[in-house]
Amino acid sequence: MPDPVLLIAIPLGFAFLIPLLGFISRKIEKFVPPVAMAVNILLSIKLIPYVMKKPIVSSLGGFLHPFSINLYAGPVGLFFSLLISFVGFLVSLYAISYIKEGATQKYHMLFLLLLTGANGAALTADIFNLFVFSEILCISSYALVAYTGSKAGVESATKYLIQGSIGSAFFLIAIGLIYGQFGTLNMAEIAQHIHSVKPINIYLPIAMIISGIGVEAAIFPINAWLPDAHSSAPSTISAVLSGIAIKIGLYVILRFVFTIFGATNLLLILIITAIATVLVGEFSAFSQNNIKRMLAYSSTGQIGLILFAVSLGTSQGISAGFFQLITHTLSKSILFLSSGYMIVKAGSMDMENMIGMGKRMPVSSLSFTIGAFSLVGLPPFIGFPSKFLIVKAAIAKGDVLSIVLIILVLLGTVIEAAYFFRAVQTLYFKGDSSSIQRDEAPAIALIPLLLLIVSIIGIGVYPHFLTGFLNKVSSELLNRIAFIRGILG
Amino acid sequence: MGFLNSYIYYIASFGLIFIGLYILVAKSNLIKMIIGLNIADSGVNLFLISIGYIKRGTAPIFSRPNLNPKLMVDPVPQALVLTAIVIGVAVLALALSFAVRLFQHYDTLDMRKIKEQRW
Repeated sequence: MPDPVLLIAIPLGFAFLIPLLGFISRKIEKFVPPVAMAVNILLSIKLIPYVMKKPIVSSLGGFLHPFSINLYAGPVGLFFSLLISFVGFLVSLYAISYIKEGATQKYHMLFLLLLTGANGAALTADIFNLFVFSEILCISSYALVAYTGSKAGVESATKYLIQGSIGSAFFLIAIGLIYGQFGTLNMAEIAQHIHSVKPINIYLPIAMIISGIGVEAAIFPINAWLPDAHSSAPSTISAVLSGIAIKIGLYVILRFVFTIFGATNLLLILIITAIATVLVGEFSAFSQNNIKRMLAYSSTGQIGLILFAVSLGTSQGISAGFFQLITHTLSKSILFLSSGYMIVKAGSMDMENMIGMGKRMPVSSLSFTIGAFSLVGLPPFIGFPSKFLIVKAAIAKGDVLSIVLIILVLLGTVIEAAYFFRAVQTLYFKGDSSSIQRDEAPAIALIPLLLLIVSIIGIGVYPHFLTGFLNKVSSELLNRIAFIRGILG
Repeated sequence: MGFLNSYIYYIASFGLIFIGLYILVAKSNLIKMIIGLNIADSGVNLFLISIGYIKRGTAPIFSRPNLNPKLMVDPVPQALVLTAIVIGVAVLALALSFAVRLFQHYDTLDMRKIKEQRW
C-alpha cells in the first residue's frame, strides 16, 4: 500500500530535479511535469480501493501522537488528488508547445510547486501544515501570473499578491487564536474539544478564516483580483488557477466549517454570499468583450454556484457541490486551453477577432463549444447531471429560502447561457468565412483537448460512476465523529 | 494598569497589525504598501510568539541539568513563527521584484495611476 505522502513528495522532488536535468540538456525540462503528474495519477488510482474501505492516516516523519503532523487520505483528499493530477497532466501536455519564450525552466518548476501545494493542502490534517501548503500554492501562482512580464501581467500579479498576503495574514492570526484556545494544531483534536469552549471564543477565528481564505476561494466581495489575474496569465496558468487553486481555497473553508468547527449556523451567511457571488459574476461576464476576462468572471459565478450547493448543509447538497466542482474544473480547463491558441493565432483577446475561428481552427472551436455547453448544463455533457443534482438537493431541503435562492441561481444560469451562446455564435456563424484557410494548433496541444472532451462526454453520459464516490466524500465532511476516531484512534 | 501590564504583548501586536493595514488602505505608493504589508506580517508574528509566553519562563532548551519543563515557554509557536518569517521574506522579495518591473513599464509607482485593467 503506497504511502499518501508520495502524492506530495513526487511533484516536489521532480520540481527540484528540473534544474539538475537542465545541466544535461535544456530540451527535456518541458517533459518533466507530465511525467510527474502521470506518476501521481497512477498512485492515486492505486490508492482508491484502500481509501474506499477505510481512510489512510499516516504521520510525517514517523512521529507518534501527540507530536505528529498527520496526513488524512480519505475520500475528499483522494478526490482532490485525482482531479489535480489529471488536470495538471493535461495542462502540462499543452504547455509543451505553448510555453516557448522567457524563463521556461522557472515556469515548469513553479508549475510543479503549485501542484505540490494543492496536493498537500488537500491531504493534510494539521492546520499549520495547511497554512504552509496553501502559501506554497499562492506564492507560486503570484509568480506564474506575472510569468510573461507584460504590462497587464505584472499589474495583475501585484494586486493579486497584496490581496492574497492580507488574506494569509488573517488566516495566520486565526491559527494563532485557535492554538491559544485549544493548545493543539491537530484538526481531530480541535474537533474533539470544540464543545468545551464557549462559542464566543470561536467567533473571531472562524470569521478571520472565512475572510482570509475567502481571498483565495474568490467569494464576493474579495474576488476583485480574479478577473485581472486569470485574464493576464498565460492560458495554461489560467486553466490551473481557475480549475485547482480556487477550489483548494473553497475546500479549506469547507473543512473548517463542517468538520472542525461543525458551525452549521454559519451556513446562512455562506449561502447569501454565494448568491451574491453568482449574480455579480454572471452579470459582469455578460458585458465583457475580452474572451479571457469573460471566462474569468464566469469562474467567479461557478464558484458561487459550488458554494451555494455545499452551503445547503445536507449530504445531497455537498455531493452535488463536489460534482459541480468536477464539471467546472474540466470545462473551464478545456475553455482556457482551447482559447489559448485561438488568441495566439488571432493576435488579440477581443471577441471580434474570433470571427471565423470555427473554420480556421475546427478542433479548438469544437472544444470551446463543448466546454461552453457543458458549463451551461446541456445534456449529454457533464454539466447537466451536476446542475440537475444541485437543483434536486435545493428542492429536497424543502424550506422557502432554498427555493427562492435556487430561482436566483437559475437566473444566473440563464445569463451564463446568453454570453456563452453569443461566444459560440461568434466562432461559427458570424461573418463571411468562405476564404479562410485551416490553421490549427499543433498536434501535441490537441491531445489534452480531445482527452477532456472524452471525459466530459463520458462522465456526462454515465454519472453513476461518480455518485457512490461523491456520497462518501460528503459523508466524510459531515461525519465529524468518524474523522476524529480515524485520526486519534 | 494591571490589565495593560498583563496584555501588553497582545495590544502591541494588534497595534502593529492595524498600523500595517492602515498603510495598505491609505497610501498609494507601491513601496509604502509593501512596507505596510511587512509591518502587518511582523505584527502577526509577534502575536503568535506572545501566545506561547509564560511569565518568568525561560528558553525551552535543557541548558541546566535539572531544568523543570514547567519553567519553560511553549516551543511550538516559535516553530510557527520561524516558518511565517521565512514566508514573509519570500513574499517581500517577490513584491519588490514586481515593483521594479512595474516601474519599468509605467514609469510611476502610484497605484492610482496603474489601472489599465478595468471592468
